[in-house]
Amino acid sequence: MQQTKSGAQSSAPAAPEITEVPAAAYPVMKQKSAFRRFFITARPYLMVAPAMAVFILFLIYPIIYMVYLSFFDWNMIGEMKFIGVQNYTDMFADSDFWQVLGNSIYYMVMVVILQMALSLLLAAYLNKNTRINRILQTVAFTPYITSMVSVAFIWMWMMDSDYGLLNYFLSFFGVEPIGWLSDPAVAMNSLVLVSVWKGLGYNTIIIISAMQAVPGYLYEAAALDKTPKWKSFLKITLPMISPTIFFLALMNIIAALKVFETVNIMTKGGPMNSTNTLVYNIYQYGFQYFEIGYASTLGVALMVVIGIFTLIYFRVLSRRVYYN
Amino acid sequence: MEKITLKSITKAYGKNPPVIEDLNLGIEEGSFTVLLGPSGCGKSTVLRMIAGLEKTTAGDVLIDGVSVRDVEPGDRNIAMVFQNYALYPTMSVRDNIEFGLKNMKVGKDERNARINEVAEMVGLTEYLSRKPANLSGGQRQRVALARAIVKKPAVFLMDEPLSNLDAKLRTQIRTDLIELHQRLRTTFVYVTHDQVEAMSMGTDIVLMDQGKIQQHDSPAEIYAHPANVFTARFIGSPPMNVVPAEAAHGQTPDFVSKVGFRPERSHIVRPGEKVGEDTVLIDGNMLAREMLGDQTQYKMETENGTVFVKEFNDDLLDYGDHQIAVKLSDIACFDMQGKLVGFGLKKE
Repeated sequence: MQQTKSGAQSSAPAAPEITEVPAAAYPVMKQKSAFRRFFITARPYLMVAPAMAVFILFLIYPIIYMVYLSFFDWNMIGEMKFIGVQNYTDMFADSDFWQVLGNSIYYMVMVVILQMALSLLLAAYLNKNTRINRILQTVAFTPYITSMVSVAFIWMWMMDSDYGLLNYFLSFFGVEPIGWLSDPAVAMNSLVLVSVWKGLGYNTIIIISAMQAVPGYLYEAAALDKTPKWKSFLKITLPMISPTIFFLALMNIIAALKVFETVNIMTKGGPMNSTNTLVYNIYQYGFQYFEIGYASTLGVALMVVIGIFTLIYFRVLSRRVYYN
Repeated sequence: MEKITLKSITKAYGKNPPVIEDLNLGIEEGSFTVLLGPSGCGKSTVLRMIAGLEKTTAGDVLIDGVSVRDVEPGDRNIAMVFQNYALYPTMSVRDNIEFGLKNMKVGKDERNARINEVAEMVGLTEYLSRKPANLSGGQRQRVALARAIVKKPAVFLMDEPLSNLDAKLRTQIRTDLIELHQRLRTTFVYVTHDQVEAMSMGTDIVLMDQGKIQQHDSPAEIYAHPANVFTARFIGSPPMNVVPAEAAHGQTPDFVSKVGFRPERSHIVRPGEKVGEDTVLIDGNMLAREMLGDQTQYKMETENGTVFVKEFNDDLLDYGDHQIAVKLSDIACFDMQGKLVGFGLKKE
C-alpha cells in the first residue's frame, strides 16, 4: 500500500531543456561526422545500385534508344538518317499495320478469355485434394515447363492438314480435313489453341492454390445458409480468389500481346498475313528487311498498346477485386 | 419434449480410435444447453454433427424425433454462430445477414423487414453497409448473431462464440445472450470450455471429457452434487481440493478413496477463533495469496498436497503457518471409480 502511495507522489521533476552545443565546439569531430553522414545517406542507394544498373542498362536504355531509333531511317550498316515522324505516318497509313494490330488484339482477347474460363473450370474440378487430382495437376502442369519451340513443332506436326494427327482422328467421325495452319480463317485460332493448352496447367495450379486458401468455415457457413454449390462458387469462391484472377489475367494479356515463337515456327505470319502479330512484324522489319527505324516504331506501338490495356484493366477491373 | 436427440453416436476420423463412442444425449426444447469440457473432449464435434457439418460414423441424430441423417445442414432449420464468426468477407453486413434469407427464397419486403428488425435488436443499424473488415471484434460477433437470428431457426448452435472477445465484452455479450434466449425461447446449444460461461448462461450443462458425458444437469445441481471427481474439479474456481482418503485419518469408510472440499467452503482460522465440533482443522503453510477485491485466494501447502482456500473477508492474512477449517458436512467423498458417494464426514 505504502509503495503505491509514495510512487504516486514522486512525480518526476521536469526534464532539463536540451540546449544545442554550437558546432564550433568540436571542430575536429565535425569533418568525420560529415563523411559518416554522407555515407549513411548514400548507403541505401549504393545497395540498390547494382540492380538499378542492370535495370537501366537492359530496360530503360533500350526503351529510350528504341524511341530514338523510331525517328530514323537505318538499315543497321549504312548511315542513320533522321526523318522525323515519317515512320509513324507510314505506319498509320499502312493497312498491314492495322491488320497486324487487329490480329494481336484478337489473339489476346481469345487467349485471355479461354485461358481464364478453362483454368477456372479445371481448378474447380481439381480442387479436391485427392491422389488422382494431384497426378492430374502434375499432368496439366507439364506443358508449361516444356519449351515453347518443342511445343510449337509438335503441334505443327499434329495440325498438318495432310498428315496431321488431328485431321486423322477427325476423319473417324467423317469430318473433312481442316486447314489448321493453312486456312486464313482458322490459323489464328489454332495458335490460340496451342497457347491456351500450354498455359492452362500453370493458370490452373495458381487458381487452385488460391482456392485452397479460402477458409473452409466460409463454406460451412454457406451450407448452413442453404447455399447451392454453384452459388457458393459464384458468391464466395470467385470474390475470394479475385486478386489471383486479376493478376493472372493481366499476365496473360501482356504475354499474349508479346506472342512470337508459335507464329515464327508454325505459320511465319501466314497464310495471307492472317497470323502476323506485332512482335513478329517487328522481327520481320528488324531482322529480315533491316528497317530498324520502322521496326522501332512498331515497338513503340506495341509498348503503347500494352500500356493502354494495362491501364484500362487497372482502372476498370481493379475496383471489383476484393483485397483482404 | 426433446428437441434434439443423439442416439448412440460414434465418431471416428479415418482408422483412428473414435473420439466419441456410443454417446447418448437429449436436449430439451427451449433449453439453453451448454456443452462444456476441456479442449479435445469432443464437444465441438457433437455440435457439428447436430449441424450436419460432420457425418456420424454410427448412431443417429434426431431433430423433433425425426432422423436428420439425410438432411442437408441448410434444411435442418438451425443456425450456427462460429468461433471466428465465419462472416463472408466480400459482402457487406446487410448482404451477410440477407444471404441465407435469399437462399431460403424469402420475399424482398419480408427480408427487409426482418433485417431491420434484427439490426435494431443487436444494434447494427448504422453498420449495415460496412464490410466485416471494417468492424471491431464485438461488432463482427453481433453480425454473426444477427445472421443466425434473422433466419428464425428452431435451434441455435454456438461454437465458442465469445472466445475471441476481450473479457469485458465477453461479460456483456453473455448477458445479451441470456436476454436473447429469454426473448426467443428457442433451443440454444452452446459449446464452451469456460465454466463461467456455462454456469452463467446455461439452463442445462452437459459436461464432457474424453468423448464421454460426465454429467448432464442444471448448473446449480452440477455445482452442488458433482457426479465425480472430474466434474467436481472442472466446475468451480479454483477447483475443488481433492486429496486421498488417507488424509482423513481413517474417518472414512473403506470404499471411499478420495475426499474433497470446495475452496469457498473453507476458511483460515483467525487467532482466538473458536472452532465448533462439526469442523475439521488442517495444518498448512501459505505459499501464495491473491487479493481480488471482494475475495482472497490462498494457496496452502499441507501434508497431503497443496489446497486452495477462498475467503470473502476483508482482512488479509500474513504468510506463515495457519490452520484451515472445513465443516464436516462440506466434505465430499468419492469412491474408487471417482464417483461421488456423498457429503459429510463423521468425526471420531
